[in-house]
Amino acid sequence: MKVGLTSSLVLHVAALGFGLVSLSSPRSMEAANVESFPVDIVPVEEFSQSVAGDRQAPVAEKPAPQPTSKPETVEDARNIGDNTVDLDNAPTPNPRPRPVETAAAPPPAPEPEPTPPVEQPKNEPQPPSEPAPVPATEVTPEPEPKQEVKPDPAPETTVASKPEGEAMQLPDSAPSPQARPQPPQAQTAKAPERKNSEQPAKPRQTAQSSTEDKQLEDEISALLNRDKPSGGGARRSTEQAALGGRQTTGAKLAQSEIDALRSQVQRCWNPPVGAAEADSLVVSIRLKLKPNGELDGTPEIVSGGGSSMAERAAADAARRAVMRCAPFNAPADKYEAWADVQFNFDPRDMF
Amino acid sequence: MDELTLAAPGSDVSIWALFWQAGWVVKLVMIGLLAASVWTWAIIVDKIISYNRMRAALNRFEQVFWSGQSLEELYRTLSERKTSGMGAIFVAAMREWKKSFEKGVKSPLSLQTRIDKAMDLALTREMERLESRLGFLASVGSSAPFIGLFGTVVGIMTSFQAIAGSKSTNLAVVAPGIAEALLATALGLLAAIPAVIAYNKLSSDAGKIGLRMEGFADEFSAILSRQIDEKVAQKAA
Repeated sequence: MKVGLTSSLVLHVAALGFGLVSLSSPRSMEAANVESFPVDIVPVEEFSQSVAGDRQAPVAEKPAPQPTSKPETVEDARNIGDNTVDLDNAPTPNPRPRPVETAAAPPPAPEPEPTPPVEQPKNEPQPPSEPAPVPATEVTPEPEPKQEVKPDPAPETTVASKPEGEAMQLPDSAPSPQARPQPPQAQTAKAPERKNSEQPAKPRQTAQSSTEDKQLEDEISALLNRDKPSGGGARRSTEQAALGGRQTTGAKLAQSEIDALRSQVQRCWNPPVGAAEADSLVVSIRLKLKPNGELDGTPEIVSGGGSSMAERAAADAARRAVMRCAPFNAPADKYEAWADVQFNFDPRDMF
Repeated sequence: MDELTLAAPGSDVSIWALFWQAGWVVKLVMIGLLAASVWTWAIIVDKIISYNRMRAALNRFEQVFWSGQSLEELYRTLSERKTSGMGAIFVAAMREWKKSFEKGVKSPLSLQTRIDKAMDLALTREMERLESRLGFLASVGSSAPFIGLFGTVVGIMTSFQAIAGSKSTNLAVVAPGIAEALLATALGLLAAIPAVIAYNKLSSDAGKIGLRMEGFADEFSAILSRQIDEKVAQKAA
């Protein structure tokens, strides 16, 4: 027995020692530090039937309000205005006509070319008009070719005035070019007018270089966008479009709401009793409703209500039921869904 | 209320710490189970050794007995030292034989009965020695799981009381108490499983050895009865 006891004790001490060493500190489970996040289950109709909004629109309903800042006031200021410096003179409006001038500048530049050979004396009054375009040439690159052209005609007129002269003499409507430069002086040149004036000018001019320039100018002017900066649609709202429309056609009645509507109708319905062939007494009736639930117009029998007496009676009963229940109670925010509804009156459902 | 204090979350959950955190009931149960386990293993080792010895002794005795050696001589050598197993049975039977013949045989029939009784007694004594302490294994095997379960239930009870006291159901608060309680069940199973297995094995071994000794006793009884009949015939002749 001694042997057994000692060996048992040794065995136990060894086993416990092993257990204390190996099982002493079980590796603690590593829990991933993941934050839980809520999940909403949303019917897919909310997305598939929603009206397209602006994809670029910010998520927020309204843009973040800009912090208001108090405008700094200038001490001892005597003039009204938004300036930071107190000035006597009134603020000048931005020179709006300038862009128009530059657009109108090209026409006067080419036109002088034909005129000099035709009538020299009349050319003199024109120069005053020319200086105006000159600054314009500095602004826009287009006039540059014109300047190159200009020196050419001058020697041509002196040396070879004949070939051109033929062309100049042919049209007797020389005064018309004179009349044209005047509008630019008044600075009210209009695009259509200029076009009209240029087109007749072309046939008169036979000089190749000048016609090429004209064509180029035509192309350029055709490319120019002459739409007024204030043009565009009639959109008045300054607010950016929201992500969704205000009126969604995607509204859909829930089953409970459909049932509620149906039960309202069913309460008022006296189904035709005692008539044979209940199958043929199914009436489907279509009605338009106002947002307050009242009938809009008369209900329309879509199917059923045939020729036989019982069928007509069934159709009448259905129509009566709908009209009797007239103000329907339905969720107002889903008006689009029940604005136009169709009810099926089936006597078989009653039994 | 010392046992109502819970281990702080994330505290030491080693076996040693679990043992020291446990309440005194659970501690007592654990210590008892550990002691039972120690004793069980002591018995197992002891029994295995003694059974092996017994088997070897039986083999040796059978070899000697069936070698044709004279029984008188065998008895003389065996009676002088402590015998066990078949030797003990043989010595008991021979002693009864001798006693009867030294005083002259009156009735050989009663002699046969006396010898059988003596051998039965010796056999019973040997079997008792063989099967001693096997009962402990059986009771440990059947009751240790329950004792461990008791410790677990008590431990979980106290740990739930402590949870109620701490007003927190955080698993980190609950876990150490439950782990400590479950240690009691683990110890119970640790003691019971070897005990059950060893009991089944050892009792079947003891049964086999007993059968072997019973067979020897029957054989020896047959030999002696033949001797008695011969002696009676000699006397009659």
